[in-house]
Amino acid sequence: MSVINFEFRNEVLKHNASLSYCYQCSTCSGGCPVALITQGRYNPRKIIEEAILGLQDKLIEKQDPNPWLCSTCQTCVELCPQKVEITEIFILIKNKCFNTGNVPEAFISQGRAVLENGVALPYSKAIITRREKLGLPSIKTAPVDEIKKILKETKFENKIPKEGA
Amino acid sequence: MSYDLFLGCVIPARLPFLEASSRKIFEKLGIKLNDVDGFSCCPDPTGIELIDHKTWLALGARNLSLSNNNGGIISFCSGCVETLKGVNYYINKDPEVKNDVNKILKSVGKKYEGKTEVKHFAQVLYENLDKVRENVEHPLIGFKVAVHYGCHYLRPSEIINWDDPFEPTTIDEIVRAIGADSIDYELKMECCGNPLDKSDKEISLQMIDNKFKSIQKSGANCVSLVCPACYQQFDFNQRELSKGKENGYNFPVFYLSELVALAFGFKPEELGLNFHRVRPKELLEGF
Repeated sequence: MSVINFEFRNEVLKHNASLSYCYQCSTCSGGCPVALITQGRYNPRKIIEEAILGLQDKLIEKQDPNPWLCSTCQTCVELCPQKVEITEIFILIKNKCFNTGNVPEAFISQGRAVLENGVALPYSKAIITRREKLGLPSIKTAPVDEIKKILKETKFENKIPKEGA
Repeated sequence: MSYDLFLGCVIPARLPFLEASSRKIFEKLGIKLNDVDGFSCCPDPTGIELIDHKTWLALGARNLSLSNNNGGIISFCSGCVETLKGVNYYINKDPEVKNDVNKILKSVGKKYEGKTEVKHFAQVLYENLDKVRENVEHPLIGFKVAVHYGCHYLRPSEIINWDDPFEPTTIDEIVRAIGADSIDYELKMECCGNPLDKSDKEISLQMIDNKFKSIQKSGANCVSLVCPACYQQFDFNQRELSKGKENGYNFPVFYLSELVALAFGFKPEELGLNFHRVRPKELLEGF
């Protein structure tokens, strides 16, 4: 059984008050390509409903439905007749999932790459050679110590587990 | 006319041939792209933004603060454009967000006012459509193009603020301006599924398979798109979907800049078209 978490509910509402405009018409799910393919196993309306009710355990811990199945196509937010800012609410929910470790590994490895290199994909030797052959200039990306300083300020550094940990 | 070039991660570090065609066409159009040192990951609107919005805002604002050009930033990647426009949107919408971001940037001696304009390369092409037409030396007769807009080129429209979010026309018009046909297909506006590669590969592949089925029915003989994530989904995963099948897919996937470059008279070799997984052999006879 799910338990209402009032603190969680208030936090989401405070973050984005448009949540309370939702009247559960399901236009978001009707337009969602992933809801269609998964025959409703992924269902954005239900995620919004659980946020309105404050069902933190279902949404963040059990992930039912799984918010990581959102393809970020932004169709739902365009279609919503009530102008619920679904993107912003989903981002808050996914950020919370990440903070509690309920996140697919690929997101963590991307975060680690940015933390260690300043970019998600460092330039390999093979790519540098290929760039030269294509007549492309060499690129100086961000100084890593500067990026690390910023990620320390945002406390992101602490949230990325050490590799293999 | 000039712009600061924001390359991002995927194009320069994995798909540099897409960068080659893009640089060439702007040079030919007389639009200068300045290389700027010191950009980081944009960061990814389908990655970092979803796990830590504050970090996404701060790194995005740092990138935007590095541009001192009046024309602002141009990017070849829809994801980078979405992030940079999105950071501008949140910073300009809420003074508290702007204040918080600048507190973080202060730690590295930077400041961002929220004024750097950001454009997708396809937008700049569209705004110079007459010049594009004037430069066509080799019209792409016989190219029946299934245009894939991709989600982040269009939506959320409140942030992107460019073409229509569901009935866009800009890329079709560019494709027609260079002598090719744009072929309509049922799932034209569907997501390619690339971002789901991180969380559920099976659903991701099902989404792109459905797109190809729809393209197959339409009579198109190639695909064109404007986002490196979509490019990888269409080109790299097309082979995966076709493995061991008798009637596998065989649709060359062109970046819009590659089609424009071919029409401008550049040779397939200098564009690095040989790096595509699905080789566009037949269509390139005579180029």
